[in-house]
Amino acid sequence: MTAQELSERDYFTDPEILVDPYEYFNALRSQGPICRLEKYDCLLITGFEEALEVWKNPIDFSSVNSLASAAFPLPFEPKGSDISEQLDEARDKFVGHDMVVCYDGKHHTKVRSLISRVFTPTRLKANNVFMHDYAQELVQRVVARGSCELVSEVAAPYVTMIIASLLGVPPEDRVKFEEVIAAGQTVGSIEHADSPTDMTSMNFIAQFMAEYLQDRMKNPTGDMLTELTQSSYPDGTKPDLSELVGLSAFLFAAGQDTSAKLLGNAMRYIVDIPGLQQQLRDDRDLIPWMIEEVLRLEGSSKITARLAVRDTKIGDMDIPAGTRVGLAIAAINRDPVKWGEDANEFKLKRPRIREHLAFGRGVHTCAGAPLARAEVIEIINAFFDHTSEIGFNEAVHGKVGSRKYKFEPSFIIRGLDTLQVEFKA
Amino acid sequence: MSSVFVVDRSGQEEIITIEPGETLMQAISNSGMPDMLALCGGVCACATCHVYIDAAPESVMSGMDEDEDVLLGGVLSRQENSRLCCQIRLTEAYDGLRVTIAPEE
Repeated sequence: MTAQELSERDYFTDPEILVDPYEYFNALRSQGPICRLEKYDCLLITGFEEALEVWKNPIDFSSVNSLASAAFPLPFEPKGSDISEQLDEARDKFVGHDMVVCYDGKHHTKVRSLISRVFTPTRLKANNVFMHDYAQELVQRVVARGSCELVSEVAAPYVTMIIASLLGVPPEDRVKFEEVIAAGQTVGSIEHADSPTDMTSMNFIAQFMAEYLQDRMKNPTGDMLTELTQSSYPDGTKPDLSELVGLSAFLFAAGQDTSAKLLGNAMRYIVDIPGLQQQLRDDRDLIPWMIEEVLRLEGSSKITARLAVRDTKIGDMDIPAGTRVGLAIAAINRDPVKWGEDANEFKLKRPRIREHLAFGRGVHTCAGAPLARAEVIEIINAFFDHTSEIGFNEAVHGKVGSRKYKFEPSFIIRGLDTLQVEFKA
Repeated sequence: MSSVFVVDRSGQEEIITIEPGETLMQAISNSGMPDMLALCGGVCACATCHVYIDAAPESVMSGMDEDEDVLLGGVLSRQENSRLCCQIRLTEAYDGLRVTIAPEE
């Protein structure tokens, strides 16, 4: 297939692009750092600097469509050089509009201030003992059997329990949430073109969060939910209950799939890069460096979106109000202009690696990034503690160099549906 | 309308309009100044929004909590007037604040 033919495929629905989105994005990149997807009448950014410019301009670019995607047509006909009033009237027509990730302006600043207050290093550190013990318990259980399906048996329950513990979700309800999330439709499903992101699981979780929050108002504990009920906005006013319910449900759900997928993605590099596994076992201080390079090369989020609310520019390009812009994180993080000609290769201690955009940048930077990193580092250490070698089931995934994987059918999430892992004690 | 003065790493000074309620990091980042990496987005996890406070109300220097102090403890270019500007929540009282973006580490 030529680059031209490849670039004409439909990123938002094509199951073949799931397997190798990077080849597709490379084909797009050959058209320049910003290209137009005719079918969806939107722009797609593959250039690092261009993406950074959009992320750092929340005045001109709204986040309202960050979950709906750039492919989602506007629910109104944009008129004039400033559509902010039109957007305000139609905001509730965007999927996820009531979640902080889609907020803009002062409302976002206020709610984001609550997140900064609860996601502190002190609070994360206080959960380290639980995280360590739970990682050890899960890993010892599967290593004793000699093999496991990593995603459903380790990654998903692990990340669910960690955030549940931080928030203060009662242990008896944690499995319930895990089951609902596992059974629900993935975010940005390529199999549901009319409704790629479904909020059923989120609404289910929100009902429980409302109960917990009301309980914490009467019976405060030391958990994050209690802290949210006691929090105030910077202007001294109190958030109402519905805002806290939405925020709690979002904090619970946001890091689930992405953190779980990061573990699977990291395992692929650990197992398949020649010599890497032993190098990391010999020097555990390299694990965080490995995670950063995996985040760059194969982070769990492939794409997000913005909407130009007024006439603006990206570089020299005029961007009219109403333009939908896709930020292809999976491409941006491999832009050779930023990372050099070896941008597609794995390289430990890559210069300026911390500047990758796997967690975005600007006012919407993922606040859970420190938690995601800590979670994955902890459990990889646990695997190294209890094994001498980790490999994949070749009957299922094939041999190194010709592996076969089933990926989550999502245009947003990059990660494996399943990964059959084998251990040597 | 309140504003703050921000000196970038080349010594160039910019005047930035601020919104009460936002953090100084958000204000600088949204202004497009390229020196402000602010990688963690304001959760006190990276120290890439390190600034020196040149002229400010006294409360700016007394507002540091333990997390910020620990993080700055690992920064070679720390000075007595160092702050992580994601931890400075702006009010009208900060009108006229003057800061310099610290060197990259």
